[in-house]
Amino acid sequence: MRLFGADILPLAAEHIVLALVPVLLGLVVSLPLGWWAWRSRGARRVLLPLTGVLYTIPSLALFVVMPLILGTRILDPVNVVVALTVYAVALLVRSVVDGLDEVPSEVMTAGVAMGYRPLGLLFGVQLPLAVPVLVAGVRVAAVSSFSLVAVGAIIGQGALGTLFTQGFERFYTAQIVFGLVSILVLALLIDALLMMLGRLLAPWAAARAPQKAGDAAQRSSTREQGEAAQRSSTRESAV
Amino acid sequence: MIEFSDVRKAYPDGTVALQSLSLTARAGEITVLVGPSGCGKTTTLRMVNRMVDPSSGTVRLDGVDVSTQDPPTLRRGIGYVIQNAGLFPHRTVLDNVATVPVLLGRRRAEARQAAGELLERVGLDPKVGGRYPSQLSGGQQQRVGVARALAGDAPVLLMDEPFSAVDPVVRADLQDELLRLQSELGRTILFVTHDIDEAIRLGDMVAVLRVGGTLAQFAPPADLLAAPADDFVAGFVGRDRGYRRLQFVGTGSLTLQDFPTTGDGWLLVVDDDGRPTGWRQGDEHVALGTVHAEGGSLRSALDAALSSPAGRGVAVDDDGRVLGGIEPEAVITLLHASSSPAPEAVR
Repeated sequence: MRLFGADILPLAAEHIVLALVPVLLGLVVSLPLGWWAWRSRGARRVLLPLTGVLYTIPSLALFVVMPLILGTRILDPVNVVVALTVYAVALLVRSVVDGLDEVPSEVMTAGVAMGYRPLGLLFGVQLPLAVPVLVAGVRVAAVSSFSLVAVGAIIGQGALGTLFTQGFERFYTAQIVFGLVSILVLALLIDALLMMLGRLLAPWAAARAPQKAGDAAQRSSTREQGEAAQRSSTRESAV
Repeated sequence: MIEFSDVRKAYPDGTVALQSLSLTARAGEITVLVGPSGCGKTTTLRMVNRMVDPSSGTVRLDGVDVSTQDPPTLRRGIGYVIQNAGLFPHRTVLDNVATVPVLLGRRRAEARQAAGELLERVGLDPKVGGRYPSQLSGGQQQRVGVARALAGDAPVLLMDEPFSAVDPVVRADLQDELLRLQSELGRTILFVTHDIDEAIRLGDMVAVLRVGGTLAQFAPPADLLAAPADDFVAGFVGRDRGYRRLQFVGTGSLTLQDFPTTGDGWLLVVDDDGRPTGWRQGDEHVALGTVHAEGGSLRSALDAALSSPAGRGVAVDDDGRVLGGIEPEAVITLLHASSSPAPEAVR
């Protein structure tokens, strides 16, 4: 499908890959970091503020600096993936900590008393119970990642974002609007898919209308979305 | 059998949770640790499965020093029930109960099958097996907690205030259920509570602990009521101690009176089978109230006598048929005859 002189479907596919691979990598990095921050007061004192600061680095600056740090070429998509992974980690470490904090103390006590070893407890009890909060965090990270990929257009790796740069060059409003809407639609679609994945992974959370875990997840997701919105508006103005 | 010898627990900040405790919980009995908060009863309990390690002294389980055991392995062999049940919210009731068997390496399907049978054993409809804990009432959750603790076939059960968070009616049900289960299973149970009434109701032996972790008295419940060791125990055992002690005194030779069949006074109404249904005086009717079942305690006999409008309680046999009337004086006479500190125990 060609529109505005560009192949839209490959651009959309590229956009999805560039946005979601960092979220996945971010989750893999955040789980051990978050677990460490949850366990050790010292690690928490360092890691949580640090990830907060990471998120305030303007994305454009990060894209530009990446080749210097990684030794990659300026136009390498790896730059975008690594930069976005940094943002995903910045968001998700806190989600992991919040999710683990959400596990009731009597459930932990019962787990230990039943004879779980620490790793068994983590994978058998703590992480499954952290799923609602974790999924809320992943949704925020994914949606923000979709909007950030577009910024990569400025260093030539923006997938659907290139519709903006080209549209601006040609003063072609329709192209800019189309780029905007297509990114929005993709982000909403992924968000809905992640929400359903969350329900699938934590059927127990929906088992009763007013229940603690779900409320907590909701609370935490509203909080994080609020914070994220604040942070991204700060960043966009910085860009 | 669980033996504590000179067990002491002090924390690095200097607080002493347990001064020096020595006591033995006999096999097949319920031993209750009771005391105000801060007396170290939960600390004591957790030393058995090494969730707390003593600063000095030893805890032996069937003669084996627990400090020589790998904690997770040790814990899989000891049932544990806590307040609010502490069920895993993300697992169905059946999978909650199957936790320890699965940890012990049994096949999941097999463990679930056994879990279903255990649910019935603790008085739950097996249909609840597929539900999540949040879909059950507090009392049901606690029953699941007990089933989960029994699932590993552990000979020893640790129960930490298991019934404290449910309402009094449900609590009484759960206590009855525990006594019934225990009469079938004969486990060695160490039970922690702050409620002296619960301790007296459930314990074969009761250990009263003081704040700061010293043992004030270790005795069967009847002795605790009849002869508290000191003012602290007397105060803790509380009011109505004399009256409550009656529940541990049998009514072996209680003299029964006949009920009048005619006259102006209160008459007992019975059905065709001889079972009491109420009281009548002229046109006035009063509900039956407490009846004393044959073989019950002096407490139920006295209560029957005091709650009857005729001043004479109803004693019935095992089938609920009237045996005769109980005069309060007869109860008091019997009490004087048996006022030794270790009366015949009745449960």
